Amino acid sequence: MSRFVSTAQRYTCTSLCKSDGKLMAFDSKIVARAVTELGVFLTLLMLNSIASAASLEVSVLDRSGLPVPDVAVYLQKNDGVTLLAAPGTTAVMDQVDIKFKPNLLVVQSGTSVIFPNSDTVAHHVYSFSHPNHFKLPLYKSDTQPLVNFESAGIVILGCNVHDYMLGYILVVDTPLFALTNGNGISQFDVEIGAVDTVSIWSPRIKDEARLLSKPVTLDEETNTRVVFQLSKSLRLAHDQESDALLWSDY
Amino acid sequence: MVRLLVLVSAAAFASLFHTAAAADSGTRHTYEFGADLSYINTSGYPSWTDGSAGKLRFDNDGGRLLISRAFVDYEMRLTDTLNANIAADFYDDDLGASVDFTEAYLQWRPLAISPNRYRLKFGAFYPRVSFENTDPGWSSPYTISSSAINTWIAEEIRIIGAEASVSRRPQALGGAHTFTLFSSIFYKNDPAGALLSWKGWSIHDRQTRFGDILPLPPIPQIQPGMYFQRQDPFVPEFREIDGIAGYYVGAEWQYGSRFSMRAMRYDNRGNPTKFEDGQYAWGTDFNLIGLRAALPGDIGLIYQWMGGLTLMGPVYNGTHVVDADFYSDFILLTKSFGPHRISARYDRFEVAENDQVPLDNNSEYGHAWTLAYKYELGKNTALMAEWLSIESYREAWQYFDLDESKKERQLQLTLRFRFGSHR
Repeated sequence: MSRFVSTAQRYTCTSLCKSDGKLMAFDSKIVARAVTELGVFLTLLMLNSIASAASLEVSVLDRSGLPVPDVAVYLQKNDGVTLLAAPGTTAVMDQVDIKFKPNLLVVQSGTSVIFPNSDTVAHHVYSFSHPNHFKLPLYKSDTQPLVNFESAGIVILGCNVHDYMLGYILVVDTPLFALTNGNGISQFDVEIGAVDTVSIWSPRIKDEARLLSKPVTLDEETNTRVVFQLSKSLRLAHDQESDALLWSDY
Repeated sequence: MVRLLVLVSAAAFASLFHTAAAADSGTRHTYEFGADLSYINTSGYPSWTDGSAGKLRFDNDGGRLLISRAFVDYEMRLTDTLNANIAADFYDDDLGASVDFTEAYLQWRPLAISPNRYRLKFGAFYPRVSFENTDPGWSSPYTISSSAINTWIAEEIRIIGAEASVSRRPQALGGAHTFTLFSSIFYKNDPAGALLSWKGWSIHDRQTRFGDILPLPPIPQIQPGMYFQRQDPFVPEFREIDGIAGYYVGAEWQYGSRFSMRAMRYDNRGNPTKFEDGQYAWGTDFNLIGLRAALPGDIGLIYQWMGGLTLMGPVYNGTHVVDADFYSDFILLTKSFGPHRISARYDRFEVAENDQVPLDNNSEYGHAWTLAYKYELGKNTALMAEWLSIESYREAWQYFDLDESKKERQLQLTLRFRFGSHR
């Protein structure tokens, strides 16, 4: 059951259709599973008709109360269920001007990340971050390698040719994620009861990890607002566009 | 005219090679060709490259147009993690017109799934000193000349040996901090210190190639009948004389592409009393601190400090016959505005001699201002202008009937051509 997905739509398209095909073969296990799944589906459908969406606004403020953009925000329900992305879900981590672009990419576990190379030079991308470590071969813009990230966690990206390149992928077990906008805010429309925890992450944040998750109760009546007021100063944005100096290995 | 023809044909060759190589979509070859067509006007003492005592690379001759430098920097990928690198320079100055290599080495960049990142270099290469010379061909993207420190590195220092480094990016610190330790063992750098003592600090854009022999000023003590009469007036910089390996060790801390700081110690462990084929070994060591940062307002800052000691010859009256402390530092500020970049550098330098050998006072001190403007005309050409003023006091100038205080100036206008696989 752990591979079950979050939305009724995907439930219909993948599991049910697949089961449909096998019904023709009169496989009793498949039939039984299909019936069970149909039951769950109908229950979900009923719940869906009862449940209504609530809006949630998450705001991240630095130590002096200023908004922090580009912080990952994600919503989860702590029920031990891992929500994997639908097969074929992809995201893109490009390389432009010898930088990873975007610098921080958030994906749902199960997502395949494509690593195009928009530079004229070759890149050699790797990550040592457990458990999502990987290394790609050296490549130029003529190939677009792909890495599937199955496990939640932080993936710190490097390039073996350009040691100063640095990028991040945050893999989360939920389809509900976003980056804060220029005003340090992310907005979600969520089914009531679908989430009970809101978490944030950014490589710039130094606050303890336990302070970066908060319980949340969504109420139909009001718009819920969650504020993360950071207590420690932020790290410098290492990736900030700067023509100040030209970096190399010498 | 001949020089212009050479330049035009070099540019044509470079673009042909570039087109041919671009057709090969593989990633095996990375290269850059560069040529600087310059108008240079100097006012100073006759140049050290002319066997004289001036600090600049060119003599006063009312302005000249020439190819001040051309180079090729080439990297071939042997495997995904093993590269072969060569760099060669063409110069046409008082030391002659010729092409020769400045660097040739193998670099192994293994990619193991490990928190440590290892690098191994083997061959002939620059030590990890300069924060200025980060472009292909060890060029500076900011100025035409290098600072006094890095000019000396280009003149007298090259590593012919191996360098190993290990880096770590602690995840607990967010991953943007990189800590590196590096260490090298090398041979063939025993004459290093000869030019620094007998000629002093300089500021220019010439790098010593493997086959170069550099002239010493006609100082009294290397003349026939004097203390160092065995010393040849020309120094081959990359020679082993005492059979003792030198080393350097250092550490670096880097924060993304915003900040880095480096400290290192170099010691060629030369035995100052060893002598072979007209050349003394010099015992030269130095400590170095370097810092570079992207400041608020997108202003780039580079600072380097160096302090060391160089020794040569037998002990006389309690010191080696040349026993000199040397120091230099510089600060460089740079800012770009689209295709325009302006840079300013302030250098200070000193040699303080401790020995008492008569007619061989190598002490000096001075400072220099460098102002540079660069305009990127396109991906293959840039226009650069550099104004350089070095004001120094050098005791030894009196031996050549020159005033010990001198302000040397240079104006250089350069049309910079660059062709490369990544352009």
